[in-house]
Amino acid sequence: MSDSGSDGGKWLDAHYDPVAGLYTFSSCMDLADLSGDGESRLVVGDLGSGSSGMKLKVYRGTALMSESILLDLPAGLVAFFMDLHEPRIPAVAVASGPCIYVYKNLRPYFKFTLPGLEVNMLEQDVWQQVREGQIDPLTLKEMLESIRKQADVPLSVRSLRFLSLDGSDMDEFVQLHKQQPIRRQTVITCIGTLKKSTADEDGVSCLVIGTESSDVYILDPEAFIILSKMSLPAAPTSMDVTGQFDVEFRITVSCRNGNIYILRRESDKPKYCIELSSHPVGLVRVGKNVVVGCTDESLQGFTQKGKKLWRTVLSAPIITMAAMNLPTRGFQAVLVGLANCEVQLYRDKNLLSTIKTPDVVTSICFGRYGREDGTLIMTTKGGGLMVKILKRTAEFDDRDSTPGPPLAQSVRLNVPKKTKLYVDQTLRERENGLAMHRAFQMDLSHLRLAAAKAYVKALESSLTPMSSSLTEPLKMNAVVQGLGPSFKLTLNVQNTAACRPVMNLAISFLYDESLYRMRSPYMRIPLLVPGLIYPFETFVECTSDKGISDIIKVFILHEGKSSPLLTAHINMPVSEGMTLN
Amino acid sequence: MGLLDKLSGWLGLRKKEVNVLCLGLDNSGKTTIINQLKPANHSNHLGPLSEEWKHVSQTQAQEIVPTIGFNIEKFKSSSLSFTVFDMSGQSRYRNLWEHYYKESHAIIFVIDSGDKLRMVVAKEELDTLLNHQDIRSRKIPVLFFANKMDLRDAMSSVKVSQMLCLENIRDKPWHICASNAIKGEGLQQGLDWLQEQIAQSTENNEHMNE
Repeated sequence: MSDSGSDGGKWLDAHYDPVAGLYTFSSCMDLADLSGDGESRLVVGDLGSGSSGMKLKVYRGTALMSESILLDLPAGLVAFFMDLHEPRIPAVAVASGPCIYVYKNLRPYFKFTLPGLEVNMLEQDVWQQVREGQIDPLTLKEMLESIRKQADVPLSVRSLRFLSLDGSDMDEFVQLHKQQPIRRQTVITCIGTLKKSTADEDGVSCLVIGTESSDVYILDPEAFIILSKMSLPAAPTSMDVTGQFDVEFRITVSCRNGNIYILRRESDKPKYCIELSSHPVGLVRVGKNVVVGCTDESLQGFTQKGKKLWRTVLSAPIITMAAMNLPTRGFQAVLVGLANCEVQLYRDKNLLSTIKTPDVVTSICFGRYGREDGTLIMTTKGGGLMVKILKRTAEFDDRDSTPGPPLAQSVRLNVPKKTKLYVDQTLRERENGLAMHRAFQMDLSHLRLAAAKAYVKALESSLTPMSSSLTEPLKMNAVVQGLGPSFKLTLNVQNTAACRPVMNLAISFLYDESLYRMRSPYMRIPLLVPGLIYPFETFVECTSDKGISDIIKVFILHEGKSSPLLTAHINMPVSEGMTLN
Repeated sequence: MGLLDKLSGWLGLRKKEVNVLCLGLDNSGKTTIINQLKPANHSNHLGPLSEEWKHVSQTQAQEIVPTIGFNIEKFKSSSLSFTVFDMSGQSRYRNLWEHYYKESHAIIFVIDSGDKLRMVVAKEELDTLLNHQDIRSRKIPVLFFANKMDLRDAMSSVKVSQMLCLENIRDKPWHICASNAIKGEGLQQGLDWLQEQIAQSTENNEHMNE
């Protein structure tokens, strides 16, 4: 009964039943005031074991209030107002297979079936022949196989079922089904609601359904006729609807081809398309933006025109997503259920809070439950039901966890006004752009040529402090220490060859003898082991007291060769000792 | 206190005035309880309600609309004159409660025994109340009404006190009463306890003053 520390004490643990036996997804959960007494109930389409035990369950508070059997697996569940009768009690629509089952006062009220699809003519002919006894099941199988390979219109479910049967069961199957006409049905993949003409909370809503045949239908809530049909390039998996049917609306649909399409009132084709790098898991609208969770463990924000705003990486794969809207506090965020037993709350790309759960959360629903506006309802993989209530005093601080642009970036720079000079220059540049570019390119070429010439000259006269000759690759640098009049000159010589030592080298200096005196103007270099740095020291004394300096040239020579391997020019510093004296 | 005031107090001519705060979540029955206490008070003067008038008090209870902000009700018992602040329990008005803590002499906290889900919310509000600086250091009596006992799935008063962890309140006199505000059951019993506590605390105060 106490609040856990991990979520910062923002949520009160109202209820947790680990063995509620509730197996469902976020699309099959809704909150609605089903009895008109101001207390919202939780309506759940329970998937049971996946093949049996599908139920429509209604919870009030902590207790199961009612349950009724569903005939098929629910693909989606919504509560919506279908008429203007008082008291205002919403109906519940459960989409399963090709049908929508509408419940009023928790009793079956209406069943809507999607219109059938076009049937393959050849297939129809073949079954006609079977009915008349002209062909046997084996021939039928052959003919259907060939139709399946070439036909534009896919086969019906019955023919596909027949093709998958073994030889022994074929006869029986044909006898059982041959009298009925062939029908091809699509199935509903997702369902949503769209307000008809008013934006009121209890306004009449149309049903919006997405089907396996890549169509989106909008149904009239009273007559259950198709008001509008739109087609998509791929089968939809989840959708978000906003707006009003009579005014303007937007249907954001994530599809099985990994794209998100945005449909609008005017056209029956998608207006915008968002191409994602990986498949979408969930789709949630926050204000005017759409937040998409992807299989690459990322959360991405888009504008309603499909412009990408941000992307953030999550710590685990996304299992489910839901919107968290708290209109009384003007708070909107996205709840993301992750595979590592966490439910994270994001406002834009900022993580606001994390709820640790004892099991992986498979469905999330946030809204008014009972009399409490901020209630979070979650079901877990193991069939548990968890209810948390947002504390009245809870506040989410929106600190930016990701390093974004620094604050200073948004400070406006004091850009000076455009001067006449600036404008003239711009005009000149605009008019003589070509000539200026040519002149620049010409000068640049000249510069490069001059640089290359100087480099070649330096190489030819071995003026560089680096020798890249194959036999004696050497590197040298020189350090002058001291204030004067005597200086210490250190030459660091390195053999840069990989494994060959260098022998028979010598160092010689060239200098103005009226200015400097050197203790040993010629030195022999011992064998140079590759890689090691050899320091050679010598002392230079400045004999002039006029405060002038000169260049000392250093040569590294190979015995028996007149041209140096390396040359270095050392700019001697002014002897400060002399000037002080 | 002047001599005359004391004298009138002893003679029972002038009743001592106390401020009582009535708190609790929305839809717990605060206004219904206060409305029940009013006619119950009148009945002391006019005699018990006759059978044909009983439905009036009941319809009264049913027509109650959610309180906005708060209501002030005054009624008298045998020894005290109560001024009750019937606060709204809706979450958007709950931040008003704390402004009245200072002037109050007693608190009535009403709980919907049938609302298991929101028991945590009631506990959260109670804890905030008891930890408030104007309440924490005072030995203010707190009366709990485990209301709506008529509901089929209502919890017992013992269970309610467990869920609210009332045993942890050690520095204040408290008492829990099972009640059914629509019929008025259990209300008088609670009020009697409250009167006793207030009388005791004023006696203590007077002793301390003397």
